[in-house]
Amino acid sequence: MDLAFTPEEQAFREEIRAWVHSNLPKEISHKVHNALRLTRDDLQGWAKILGKKGWLGFGWPQQFGGPGWTAVQKHLFEEECALAGAPRIVPFGPVMVAPVIMAFGNAEQQKRFLPGIASGEVWWSQGYSEPGSGSDLASVKTRAERVGNKYIVNGQKTWTTLGQYGEWIFCLVRTSNEGKPQTGISFLLIDMKSPGVTVRPIKLLDGECEVNEVFFDNVEVPAENLIGEENKGWTYAKHLLSHERTNIADVNRAKRELERLKRIAKAEGLWDDQRLRDQIALLEVDVVALEMLVLRVLSAEKSGKNSLDIAGLLKIKGSEIQQRYAELMMLAAGPFALPFIEEAMEAGWQGDFPGGDASHAPLASTYFNMRKTTIYGGSNEVQRNIVAQTVLG
Amino acid sequence: MDFDFSDDQQQLRDAVRKWVDKGYSFERRRAIVAAGGFDRAAYGELAELGLTALTVPEQHDGMGQGAVDAMVVMEELGRGMVLEPLAHAFITSSVLSSYAPAAVQSAWLPRIASGEALVVLAHQERKARYRLDVCEAKATAAPTGYALTATKSIVPAGDQADAFLMPAQLDGKLALFLVERAASGVTTRGYVTQDGSRAAELQLSNAPATLLTQDGLGALELAVDTGIAATCAEAVGVMDQTVALTVDYMNQRKQFGVAIATFQALRHRVADMKMQLELARSMSYYASLKLGAPAPERRAATARAKVQLGQSMRFVGQQSVQLHGGIGVTDEYIGSHYFKKLTQLEMTFGDTLHHLGEVSKRMQETAGVFA
Repeated sequence: MDLAFTPEEQAFREEIRAWVHSNLPKEISHKVHNALRLTRDDLQGWAKILGKKGWLGFGWPQQFGGPGWTAVQKHLFEEECALAGAPRIVPFGPVMVAPVIMAFGNAEQQKRFLPGIASGEVWWSQGYSEPGSGSDLASVKTRAERVGNKYIVNGQKTWTTLGQYGEWIFCLVRTSNEGKPQTGISFLLIDMKSPGVTVRPIKLLDGECEVNEVFFDNVEVPAENLIGEENKGWTYAKHLLSHERTNIADVNRAKRELERLKRIAKAEGLWDDQRLRDQIALLEVDVVALEMLVLRVLSAEKSGKNSLDIAGLLKIKGSEIQQRYAELMMLAAGPFALPFIEEAMEAGWQGDFPGGDASHAPLASTYFNMRKTTIYGGSNEVQRNIVAQTVLG
Repeated sequence: MDFDFSDDQQQLRDAVRKWVDKGYSFERRRAIVAAGGFDRAAYGELAELGLTALTVPEQHDGMGQGAVDAMVVMEELGRGMVLEPLAHAFITSSVLSSYAPAAVQSAWLPRIASGEALVVLAHQERKARYRLDVCEAKATAAPTGYALTATKSIVPAGDQADAFLMPAQLDGKLALFLVERAASGVTTRGYVTQDGSRAAELQLSNAPATLLTQDGLGALELAVDTGIAATCAEAVGVMDQTVALTVDYMNQRKQFGVAIATFQALRHRVADMKMQLELARSMSYYASLKLGAPAPERRAATARAKVQLGQSMRFVGQQSVQLHGGIGVTDEYIGSHYFKKLTQLEMTFGDTLHHLGEVSKRMQETAGVFA
């Protein structure tokens, strides 16, 4: 047993750190470090920089043009990016749909879709949730009917994150009502410019339009856009979930944000306030414990021994920590977190923020926004069901 | 970065588990508690397994193994709620080999390794609670060595041990001494603690003592950090068993015509117990892996670990009782003994609030395992 990374892993970290330092635009990292609004261009700009280096698909195997990194190397890459203030990679293309295309798509589909994902040129969205299908995803109703060499799609997806920028969307669609709900689902790739696709942003409680409704009205989709076999989509989607591993915990971002919380506490003159400080100390213990849990999973993957089936725990704890730091940041600002001045969340705003410190502007919005983390990606209650299943049978 | 156990460590685990399963049944434990909470014969069996020698350096007849090996052993002893204070063999071998004069090491370490001598840390005082820098015990120079006048509380197996590591003020500074129980001026008053193990109050009146080091605080901190790591590992073993016992019970116990393991409100509680167990296990690893780090880093790590372990122990213990229902609060059932063990371990070497204060005090601007 050894806590230290190997010299090779350490050297790898240094290499990533140096590269990120010279390639991550400062105006983007400034926004990330201060929770200011990121534009589409910020997100895609960083994606393209990574894409050019061949690192947007940092989890991809070499045969598909990825770097073929180990689990530890992937973790170190994500950590260095997060600590440097890089935006999170928008996962829908490189992290979510690409592995499905690699595993279940045909050669034609791989050739057609993977290059645009790897370069960051094509913006992908995820079409899973529906108004009637949240935690119970297998109940999706959006229908795809095979007519000749195409599918006719009708229905509605929702909570489509950043779907307003989407060019392609991968969807779970119902192709059969026979048997169990899971067995009638197919995995379909849809061009969002197709006639009949409508995207309507949903304004959230923080004032942002981070998610959307996507409507399909007699949308024609070529049958060649079906991944794998008809009615096997659920299996493919589950494969995807099993490959979302340690990054579900988002521990690297938690470390960065805990450091930011400490800076805020200092700036507010609360560093020596024992009551707040103890709360930060508890969070510090939580973050170390979560990181140790993540490292255990990585170690198990590395050696192939003692496999740890604890993705549910990582999701629960990671999301709770994100909510907690956002909450403490807001509380640290006190009443000055209350003014809701949207322009003040833009980089470079020169206005006069109530109380005089515009860095307070995004704190409450972030707190409100973070309530999503225990709901999305399988709510924490669903995660508890999964964990309980592994423990109790 | 590697959290796999070596083959040797796995064999060590298997050997200790076998002894716990075959040699330290709940019935035997109950008999030991009834007889006062400490059994020298059982301690001798630990010595026969080589466990008292585990972390003693090889030149003093020990096995020279490290913190992870000690952790493995403590996890397994935790599973059986073993009463005999083996953690103190790890504490004393670590402190003596790091701080004591060569002659003291040669005199005591081989006897600790063989199990012939039980030496325990005796540092707690009424006014210090969990603090290490508060100490009223006083040492004065005597014609041969030193003389200690002190009152020490809740000393593990204090009326059975052969000698004590004891901090005392010497010329206004904390120093660490070794005192033999049989020495003149030492009186003990033994009793049983909440988990069934034995402890004692010690009274020393000008008792002869051997000076181990004038850096008493540094040595005491190492002693307590070693104790914290051992306690964390022991707690992981206890919690492993507690969760297993609870899961077993829930799958057998029927109410409303079905196993109570089918009720979602209870299943979520079990998921939360599993969370606390795995966070605790992670932080137990962290504490043991940081034992060899420079003192400030080591201190920060053990405080963080004890905060996590303390929270986990209380949650797992309390929920286990609740999920068992009435049977969970009976003395007859083993589950209540796990709960009491966890409660006592939380309050050993500093409770959660104490260590939260330590984490808070030591907090830096950085965050994470490697900060």
